[in-house]
Amino acid sequence: MIDPIWLPLLMGGPLLLASVLVVVRHVLLERVLLLAVPLISLTVGIILVLEHRTVPVIAHHVGGYIPGIAIPFVSDTLSALMIVVTSVATLACIVFLTVTGEDRYRFVPPLILVMLGGVNGAFLTGDLFNFFVMVEVMVLPSYALIAVTGTWRRLGIGRTFVVVNLMTSGILVMGVGLVYATAGSVNIAALVGAAAESPMVAVAAGLVLLAMAIKAAVVPIHGWLPATYPATSGGIMALFSALHTKVALYGIYRVYSTLFEGSAPWALVLTLLVAVTIVIGAYSTFGEHIIRRALAWQMVAGVGHILIGVVLFTEAALAAGLFYMFHHIITMGALILMAGAIEQTYGSGRYERLSGLMHRDGWLAIWYAFALLSLVGLPPSAGFFGKLGLITSSAASGSWEGWLMLTLVLVGAVASLVAMQRLWVGVFWGPPMESYRPDSPETGRGRSTALPDDVRVSRSLMLPGVTLVCVQLLMFLGAGVLMPLVRRAAQGLVDTAPYVQAVLG
Amino acid sequence: MIIPITIAALVAGGVYLMLQRGMVRVIFGLTLFGNAANLAILSAGVTTWRGEPLPDRVDPALAADPLPHAFVLTAIVISFSVTVFMLALAAIGHNDDTKRMPRTGEVRDK
Repeated sequence: MIDPIWLPLLMGGPLLLASVLVVVRHVLLERVLLLAVPLISLTVGIILVLEHRTVPVIAHHVGGYIPGIAIPFVSDTLSALMIVVTSVATLACIVFLTVTGEDRYRFVPPLILVMLGGVNGAFLTGDLFNFFVMVEVMVLPSYALIAVTGTWRRLGIGRTFVVVNLMTSGILVMGVGLVYATAGSVNIAALVGAAAESPMVAVAAGLVLLAMAIKAAVVPIHGWLPATYPATSGGIMALFSALHTKVALYGIYRVYSTLFEGSAPWALVLTLLVAVTIVIGAYSTFGEHIIRRALAWQMVAGVGHILIGVVLFTEAALAAGLFYMFHHIITMGALILMAGAIEQTYGSGRYERLSGLMHRDGWLAIWYAFALLSLVGLPPSAGFFGKLGLITSSAASGSWEGWLMLTLVLVGAVASLVAMQRLWVGVFWGPPMESYRPDSPETGRGRSTALPDDVRVSRSLMLPGVTLVCVQLLMFLGAGVLMPLVRRAAQGLVDTAPYVQAVLG
Repeated sequence: MIIPITIAALVAGGVYLMLQRGMVRVIFGLTLFGNAANLAILSAGVTTWRGEPLPDRVDPALAADPLPHAFVLTAIVISFSVTVFMLALAAIGHNDDTKRMPRTGEVRDK
């Protein structure tokens, strides 16, 4: 049993510890805190999930002001599950960054902690403006993370990333301001159904959703993601992919289910955009010759899959979309981290430069195959249940949207399968490699030199990715335990009465 | 009416500047856009003159709405800090603003 008064600490704790790390520079302290913060988040998240079996929603009003005026921190099954899943992915990323030595760059540990505080805050806040602030707290350190861990070339990428995100934040804050102007409140619980009733609030909330759609990389404003993410290092990209787009997707789920109560006048536009996102993401993967760039396009496709839940808005579809999101965070993290390990060892992620890794790094190939199966949606993997849930719930909804989504999930799966085969053939099959470009922390990527026989992807580099593959396999084996939880999260989105009851009293 | 027109002018100017090649112009564009957003939030409260929102001094019916002020303060701090950071990005790194295509990773590099 957790007293709701501690909820803000999940946001404030990492921020305070980050400020400590700015002042105190000590390797051991930094590494301990970097591991402890996500571990504590994970533990608290699990306790919250267990607690929500009996109490569906708990809320705390900061400063003890009257409900409705106070800034609420709310936890329900969805936010607790999001905290659990993102903490697991973050832990793996942090271990990877420690192994590659990137956590030794100046300011990286506090920046990561600030980001985690923002992410936890975004999941727990019950206030639209506070959500904007938390998204900013999460995004600001990432600007610096790109710049700090980057080479000169990555600074150019940082510009794109900053400009897109700042522009989007402007749209988001404008939307929140308009919601306040039209509905007179930014408390999500007080706004339930507001956009469904008043077209003016619908326009304002639509602006909020537009901003979050850009941050989630929904087509047509998706180009920034494949352009920027692969240019950062593998560990940082995995961290971004686990946190950034997923917070935006959480926001879309939350806002759409409360403000619009699942039906918007422009739902047709949403349906078409999601449809296009799935197809474009899956087919654009063909054009790439670099592992992490191909994965970035798969992320775009994944965003489309996750949003199917919002498009159909039945309880089954929401549960399927949420399960797909959890699987996607874990699987994508595993794929990116292992791709990062390959790049770190052989100095390139290009299909042409890599070949025959199956003979060289047999175990890595096996784990990579499991993760790729999950991405495509073949058993044994969490992705299998993810796609199965999307397909059955689409078919059960019976509407034309359902049939469209069902078709596109299958078409997208075939496209992803073929594209991932290209990756497999390019990287893991073929003749043994003859040259590589070893990385060094001092000089960066070296010249192409003859590859000695004994070079392998080290076990410690593989470990974080392999752990996530195992988590993903556990999600496959334990789907019977996980599904009721996800269902409960989806119920909380369909029936918002307990949420309103807990926040407004 | 003056506030909506100002917001519209700021957004139009901001978008125009953001479509330029030079990073400094993009930053100015974003600043204009951020100010437009701030004005939009301010206008969510009552824009005519109101009393200071201190309950023991001013009748709450005559006081200004403090919430948009708090929103705008937060938004200003965020956009200010990011502007400084972007100016740093514009000053360091390659001079790819006007002469070359920015390296977005799309061009094949050795």
